[in-house]
Amino acid sequence: MVATVPTRGLTVVDARARTARAPGRPGRRRVGWTLRVVAAVLVAVVMVFPLWVMLVTAFSSGSAYSQTLRLWPSEPTLDNFTRVFAAWPVGSWFANSVAVAGVTTVLSVTVSLTGGFAFAKLRWAGRTPVFLLLLATMMIPAQAILVPQFRLVSSLGLVGTFWAVILPGAAATFGIFLARQFLMAIPTELVEAARVDGASTPRVFWSIVLPLCRPLIAVLTLLALMYQWNDFLWPLVVLRDPALFTLPIGLQFLQGQYLTDHGALMAMTLLATAPLVVLFLVFQRYFVQGLATTGLR
Amino acid sequence: MIDRRSLLLGGAGLGAAALGGCAGFTGQGGGEASRGQTTLTFVNWSGDAEKAASDALISRFEEANPDIRVETQTVPYADISTNIDSRFQAGDPPDLFRVSYIDIGLYTSQGVLLDLSETIGARAGEFVPGLYEAVVVDQVPYGVPHQIDTTAVLYRTDAFEAAGITDVPTGLEQAWSWAELAEVAERLKGVTGADQYPFVYNWQAAGAYRWLSWLFQAGGRLLTRGLDAAAVASDEGRRAVEFTQRFFTEEWVARNTSTQATTYASDEFVAGTAAMAFVGDFSLPTIDTGADFEYGVLPMPRDVEAASDLGGNAVVAAADGPNTGAAARFCAFIAEEEQMRRYCEATGQLPTLTALTETELAFEVRPDLMPTFVEQATTLTAEQVRQVTVPAFGRINALLGEELEQAFLGGRDAAATVDALAAAVDGALG
Amino acid sequence: MSAPSVPGVRRQGRGDRSAPLFAGPVVLLAGLFLVLPMGLALVFSLTEIAPLSGEVGWVGLANFATMAADPTFFRSLLNTALFALVTVPGSMAIGLALALLMNSVLPARPLFRTVVYLPLVISGVAVGLIGSLLFNETSGVLRALALALGLPVVPWQSSGPAAFASVVLITLWVRVGFCMIIYLAALQAVPPELHEAAQVEGASGWQRFHHVTLPLLGPATFFLLIMSVIYSFNVFDTVFVLTGGGPGSATEVLGTYAYDTAFGPARDQGYGAAIGVVVFVLTMVFTLVQWRRSRAARDGAL
Repeated sequence: MVATVPTRGLTVVDARARTARAPGRPGRRRVGWTLRVVAAVLVAVVMVFPLWVMLVTAFSSGSAYSQTLRLWPSEPTLDNFTRVFAAWPVGSWFANSVAVAGVTTVLSVTVSLTGGFAFAKLRWAGRTPVFLLLLATMMIPAQAILVPQFRLVSSLGLVGTFWAVILPGAAATFGIFLARQFLMAIPTELVEAARVDGASTPRVFWSIVLPLCRPLIAVLTLLALMYQWNDFLWPLVVLRDPALFTLPIGLQFLQGQYLTDHGALMAMTLLATAPLVVLFLVFQRYFVQGLATTGLR
Repeated sequence: MIDRRSLLLGGAGLGAAALGGCAGFTGQGGGEASRGQTTLTFVNWSGDAEKAASDALISRFEEANPDIRVETQTVPYADISTNIDSRFQAGDPPDLFRVSYIDIGLYTSQGVLLDLSETIGARAGEFVPGLYEAVVVDQVPYGVPHQIDTTAVLYRTDAFEAAGITDVPTGLEQAWSWAELAEVAERLKGVTGADQYPFVYNWQAAGAYRWLSWLFQAGGRLLTRGLDAAAVASDEGRRAVEFTQRFFTEEWVARNTSTQATTYASDEFVAGTAAMAFVGDFSLPTIDTGADFEYGVLPMPRDVEAASDLGGNAVVAAADGPNTGAAARFCAFIAEEEQMRRYCEATGQLPTLTALTETELAFEVRPDLMPTFVEQATTLTAEQVRQVTVPAFGRINALLGEELEQAFLGGRDAAATVDALAAAVDGALG
Repeated sequence: MSAPSVPGVRRQGRGDRSAPLFAGPVVLLAGLFLVLPMGLALVFSLTEIAPLSGEVGWVGLANFATMAADPTFFRSLLNTALFALVTVPGSMAIGLALALLMNSVLPARPLFRTVVYLPLVISGVAVGLIGSLLFNETSGVLRALALALGLPVVPWQSSGPAAFASVVLITLWVRVGFCMIIYLAALQAVPPELHEAAQVEGASGWQRFHHVTLPLLGPATFFLLIMSVIYSFNVFDTVFVLTGGGPGSATEVLGTYAYDTAFGPARDQGYGAAIGVVVFVLTMVFTLVQWRRSRAARDGAL
């Protein structure tokens, strides 16, 4: 699996724009160009349509039981947001998601960085077999370990606390793979030189390796955030108190309460989705690299 | 762009903020109890009206018992048993929780509930006998039979006018026969457009047990008298399946309102997709808020017998916990006549105390429609209650939904369906 | 999959003393929360677990015997396989087509690309809810759209095949962006000189695609295949929220069935663990077979 990842290290996908001109008669070229533009616009319309109707529904009043097609909010309103906020602790869910995703991300990025360093640059007995075992865990389906993981977390007394979500969340091993890949590309001579100067291994990591890891940290952070912000099945199993829900289980909870009240549901879906979308639009480059390199989700 | 220091500072800051601000890291949900106060956790589900009534009930209790705080945790009805079970399994059950009569059997049979002999048991004679039995195992009451609800039929007056249906039954005595219901449905089909079906039945969302009303109306039984085997593979069973299958084959109901559907009958009615709706009295507050049309009520149709379903819920307490004394006091409080009366009046649900069933309650929402529901409730028999409160009923209810859907949408015939049902029920009974 | 030998930091023969400090945290977390539970899953699949107390009783292979005679299990297995068979090639083919489109001369390319992979960051629950808005049979957007355009109304919720199609469509909506990213990266790694050389020799556009581009996409295709199949075997959130496995068990997949069995009304965690083990074995077998096939192909080419 590792050897076949198509992007090398962290090459930026968007970096190179192909400008090679297709030869042929100018007329045919123009027809081809027009066809491509039409195709691209059609694709864009299909891809945006679901998000657009979500937006419209979220800001439409009385859309709860509407049966008519609405492609534009006739009278934009925040009513859907206010009535859901008044009834349920949506603010807490948001804060919980921030807390859980934040702590998990910090933890996950930290252990991925140190672990990646150990697997890429340090020599120790059992390095290769342990790494292969970690890689194999990427293939464990979440539902395969649901029952034992629940019993484990429950016997640790963590059920109903954020730690029940955070600790297994930080154990997701995609980061280790990414970090090792990146760190292997750092020239060993750099590290060796520092050693000759008498620096200890932690010192080398801290002063030589870490400063080179900024793009890696960005990618790891964004991926971990996305993964944890969206995680559903596991929090659904271990978080029991509605006041401690994260956004995805809060959303599913609201589905049970509002059923076909699309206005209320889309308002909350928008709220849960917006932070990641904004983050994505700002740091698109890193997101794309990370996704391309790990294939997560 | 992102350097080590800002990342570390950011991380530490975020961590600290989260740790300081959120109770989620310690597992102590939300509330802050002052010294010497006991906090009870009460897990329930509720619609808007129920939530308001429940909050009011709790604040009256807290007023009367200043040393106790009750913290409500509202979860969706569909998730309640998953939620409760996993808390038990984690060794941290809630002090109090709401449980429907169809699920209560599992808990009473496992010995995990608080014995309420001294509070509720002492007043055993004050409850309607059949409803009291639902919370009792081996003479020991394990909960408060808090309220019941039952199904009757709401109809749109505009649709009835359009179809020329003037002969609307008002009491049980005039309830339609199955044939009359079929005739009405056909007439409604003639006038309602493609957007509106003649009716919608409330067997979705863990409501499959409400199909039993048809079985009971046909004079059938789900379980044998000994409650140890299925008795549904009978002529009555086949008759009930055949008739309810017709709802779909003759397009009296929308195909997406079958037993496994993720919609509610009350929602469909409010949305205007059905001219009549079989719904529980507890839906009235929600329907009345949403509906922008006139509607009335009529009783469930009848066949050999008149019958409706036993919906309803008990409030129970966990046997193991530090606050069982306080939990028992809460149970006793909500069973007081005055408290039950106010709760039922606010939520459109029916009481379980004989003193209240014999008086007229001042229901807050559509009091004009409630007498039909109250009268309908008199068709519930103790024998039927026994069949739907066996320990395995939660499982049976799920299987019922799966098997019926195969008859409704999968086209499986009635004989094969009741046989499959009987096998599934026997399997669940173990 | 073998880790290439990395020239590590040399430190008198036996290895770095601070290695445990660096590798320890991640190994500990993964060991405790992934490897150990996977081992325990094998154990629990041979037991019966009491719903409330959680007491464990040994039942041998009884859960697997139940599974062998459980029509819903086979239906979920079939549905999962069908889901993979449709969505994996589907998303890869569309992804490749989009990648070719986005790699060509086109105005506002970054904008089009962004639009295609935007759904990737949306959670499975949100995707399921958006799906409900689209596919609801009585109040959905697609119904209203069909009525407005005079098209026949599709029973997205009450007809098994239509409900399955709704799950597939919404999944494609999310997944094509991922496939496009991977293929785009691979396309941009194709040296333009190769195309130019082929052109000089008079190869047509299709010939160039077939003989130059396609072979170079092999690694990307293999990677996507593995990742998409793993995703398909694991699919849960979207199905759980959009259809709940219904109508009947028309959209029940292994993921939802395992969850419902262990944590739904059946409350059968032992059986749930057994289903989980089967999902794991299937994933593992598929990955190993694909990996060996791809290695064999590579060795053959060399």
